Amino acid sequence: MNSTTITNAKERIEHIEDILSSVAAGDLDLRIESEFEDDLTGVEQAINLLIDDLTHELKKSLKLKQEMEEKLMKIQEQQKTILQQQEDLMELSSPVSKVWENILILPVIGTLDSQRTQIMMENLLQKIVTTGCTTAILDITGVPTVDTQVANHLLKTVTAARLLGAECIVSGISPAIAQTIVHLGINLSNILTKATLQDAMIYALRKNEQLINGKVVLNQIDTDEPK
Amino acid sequence: MITNERRIPIIKIRDFLIVSIQVDMHDRLALQLQTQILEEIARTHARGVLIDISTLEMVDSFIGRVLSGMASMAAIMDAAVVIVGMQPAVAITLVELGLEMPGVETALNMELGMEMLEKRLESER
Repeated sequence: MNSTTITNAKERIEHIEDILSSVAAGDLDLRIESEFEDDLTGVEQAINLLIDDLTHELKKSLKLKQEMEEKLMKIQEQQKTILQQQEDLMELSSPVSKVWENILILPVIGTLDSQRTQIMMENLLQKIVTTGCTTAILDITGVPTVDTQVANHLLKTVTAARLLGAECIVSGISPAIAQTIVHLGINLSNILTKATLQDAMIYALRKNEQLINGKVVLNQIDTDEPK
Repeated sequence: MITNERRIPIIKIRDFLIVSIQVDMHDRLALQLQTQILEEIARTHARGVLIDISTLEMVDSFIGRVLSGMASMAAIMDAAVVIVGMQPAVAITLVELGLEMPGVETALNMELGMEMLEKRLESER
């Protein structure tokens, strides 16, 4: 009978249970201790071996986890830098400058995407409101190509500027862009377009001289420059 | 009537009416304002209306349509409507909604709007 070969069976099984529950709770330093040699000893040793293995594996996986976390941190930091740089680039790439009394210029250089045009639009509108300029020139000489979305964004920008009470002139449309726009079937006839930035500037100056009745806008420069 | 409690004041200066919207516009108020302005145009023979919406943070499609409808209605009554001081965010919203308000004149601020109307009146004389 089993009961004869196992001494103190109840206490030892309780001891095993205690140890196992401590191990489950995370205490891996404990081992089953027993001064008896009988049928249960094999089980005890096997459990001890398993705990050893478990300890080893756990240590390994902890180390791996730490390494992974470090790598993740590094990647996140890199991503943050990239995002920051992208933002900086966005802001740098759409400067709106006041070049004359009442005239703003937004020179666009490089390929336009929707996000960039969106930021451009917001910048331009904000600047129109803060400076109180009634004429804005959107110069797209430096833009190689446009697609439907970008053309629509340009249209929206011009319309939104009109809603604020400012006129928006688009200048410097290249032959390639003109071709694309017409092929895409986008109607730009509601928008005032000028061939070059110079033409747009001349138009804007003329318009403003008329607008500010009696006050000659050119006076401002004349007084600043020695003759 | 409850609707009369929050009337938006309409001020007449020379040939123009000045309306400054300083409360949140809801649909009923917008319609009420439309009627009010048209009645004032008829009563005072005003030639132009300046509507200042610089404090409006948000304009929905309904208000946008009311404003643009008001301009057309006033135009039939021989009064020009100039909408003044629209916020950039509002302009973007309207454009995104496809409400481009053709036929509505706009100005950056009250001063420029007034100038615009005066010039228009002068050319008609």
